[in-house]
Amino acid sequence: MKEMKYDVVVVGAGIAGPIVARNVAKSGFSVLLIDKKPAIGTPKQCAEGISIKVFDKYDIPYDRRFINREIYGAKLYSPSGYELELRYKEASGVILERKVFDKMLAYYAAKAGADVLARTEALDVIKKNGKVVGIKAKHEDEPVEIYADVVVAADGVESTIARKAGINTYAPPHEFDSSYEYEMLIEGFDPDMIHLWFGNEIAPRGYVWVFPKDEDRANVGIGINSDNPKTAKYYLDKWLRENNIPAKKLLEINVGVVPVGGFVKDLVKDNVLVVGDAARQVNPMHGGGMAEAMEAGTIASKWIVKALEEENLELLKNYTTEWWETDGKRLEKVLKVRRVTEKLTDEDLDLFIQILSGADAEKIAGGDYGEVIKALLKHPKVLLSPRRITLLKELL
Amino acid sequence: MPEKIRVIVNEDRCYLCGGCAGVCPTLAIEVHSSGWEFFQDKCISCRICINACPVGALSAEPLEVSE
Ligand SMILES: Cc1cc2nc3c(=O)[nH]c(=O)nc-3n(C[C@H](O)[C@H](O)[C@H](O)COP(=O)(O)OP(=O)(O)OC[C@H]3O[C@@H](n4cnc5c(N)ncnc54)[C@H](O)[C@@H]3O)c2cc1C
Ligand code: SF4
Ligand code: SF4
Repeated sequence: MKEMKYDVVVVGAGIAGPIVARNVAKSGFSVLLIDKKPAIGTPKQCAEGISIKVFDKYDIPYDRRFINREIYGAKLYSPSGYELELRYKEASGVILERKVFDKMLAYYAAKAGADVLARTEALDVIKKNGKVVGIKAKHEDEPVEIYADVVVAADGVESTIARKAGINTYAPPHEFDSSYEYEMLIEGFDPDMIHLWFGNEIAPRGYVWVFPKDEDRANVGIGINSDNPKTAKYYLDKWLRENNIPAKKLLEINVGVVPVGGFVKDLVKDNVLVVGDAARQVNPMHGGGMAEAMEAGTIASKWIVKALEEENLELLKNYTTEWWETDGKRLEKVLKVRRVTEKLTDEDLDLFIQILSGADAEKIAGGDYGEVIKALLKHPKVLLSPRRITLLKELL
Repeated sequence: MPEKIRVIVNEDRCYLCGGCAGVCPTLAIEVHSSGWEFFQDKCISCRICINACPVGALSAEPLEVSE
C-alpha cells in the first residue's frame, strides 16, 4: 500500500477544489489535489456562463484559451413569447470552455506548489480514534492512503466524501435541479446575449437556456425540479420540437444535478471542510455555482492557512461562521425569492415580463429588487389580483 | 410500509453524472469513474434517485422478500 502525507488533501478538482489548493499552496503548505476524472474538466457538466467580475476578484488570468465568448446581457422570454432584454455596453459575462478552465485552475494550483493527481478517486476516509486522518483512494488500479491534517471535500453534488466524514450535507429532493443540455449548432439567436425561457409547461421551476459559444453554436439546456416525475431530457426535447429547432447537430450531451438550496449548516467537522456543490453552495434562482464555489473556496482556504500557521485547527470553524455571515446570508435571501417565484403561474410570468423594463431587470440583476416590486405593486393588473399582491409582498 | 425496491441502472442511458448519488439520503449509490454502484443494504426505497436522474436511467424492481 502506497502512503502519502500532506498538510492538506483536497478531493475534487472542479472549481472549488483548485481554488483552495492554489491558495493553500501559495502560503507554503503542502497540498494534494485529486480528481477521479482521467482528464480534469472532462466531461463538462455546465452551461459555462459566469460573471466577468470573477477574474479580478479571485485572481484568475483572463486567458483566451478558456473564454469562448464575451456576453453583453440577457434576454428573457415568457411562456407566451413576451421578451425582456437587458443589454450592457460592456461585456458583463463570459461563456467559458470549462474543460480547459477546470484544468487550468488545477494547473494554477500545481504552479503554486500543489501536487495534482488525476484519475485518483477518494473511496473513503481513514479514521483513527474517531477522527479523520486522511483519505483512502485509488490511483489508476493502485490503492493509496493519503494522510493529511486537513481534508477538503470539494467533490461536487455527490458529496460522498463529506458525508463519509460525518458532515450532514442532506438536502430534500425539491432542493435539487435535474439538468440536461446539448452543445449544438443552433441559429437565429443573438450570440452576444444569453437567452432564458420560462414557463411551467416549458421548464417546471426552472428554465431553458441558450448560452452561445459561437455565432451558430451554443449550450442549449434545461433545469427542472428534480422531484418531477418527468425527466429533464423529456422537457428539453419537447421544447426543441415545439420551437422547430432541429436536434441534429449535437456536439455534446451534458447531464447533471444541481443543488439549489439546502445549504449545509456546519461546513466544518473537526479537520474536514466542505466547499462548493458538495456544500450545496449554489445560487437557488439560476443554478449557477461556479462563482459561489470560488467564494467558498477563498474563505475556506483563508481559515485553513490561519489554522495551519497557528497550529490550531479550531480556527477552521471560522469558515462556517464567515460563509454564513456573507455569501450564506445572500443566498438565503435568493432562496426566499425562488420559493416565491416558484408559485408564479404562466399568466403571472407573461404579465411580469411584459410590464418590466430593461432598467427594472438591471435593478433585479443587481439584487436591488425592492423598488421594482414596489413599482409592480402599483400596476393595475397586479392591483386587481390579491394573489399577485400577496406573492409580491412576500418578496419585500 | 412502502414496497422494498432494488434500484437498477440502464448503463446505456447513464452518463455517470453523479446526480443520483447526490440526492440519495443514505449513500446507497456511489458513482465511480469506472461505473455506477448500488448498495441494497443502505437503500430505504424512497425513489428519490429515480425521479432525479435527468435522463431516466434508473428504474426500480420489487425486491423479493426472502423467508
Ligand atoms: C447542466 C449544468 C449547467 C450548469 N451551468 C452553470 C453555469 O452556466 N454557470 C455556473 O456558474 N454554474 C453552472 N452550473 C453549476 C456548476 O457547474 C457547479 O456549481 C460548479 O461546477 C461547482 O463546482 P465544484 O467545484 O463545487 O464541483 P464540481 O465542479 O462538480 O467538481 C467536483 C469534482 O470532484 C470530483 N470528484 C467527485 N467525487 C470524487 C471522488 N470521490 N474522488 C475524486 N474526485 C471526485 C469530480 O470528478 C469533479 O471534478 C451548472 C451545472 C449543471 C449540471
Ligand atoms: S443521475 Fe442518472 S445519469 Fe446521472 S449517474 Fe445517476 S443514473 Fe447515471
Ligand atoms: S431509492 Fe432512495 S435510498 Fe434507495 S438508492 Fe434511491 S435515493 Fe437512495
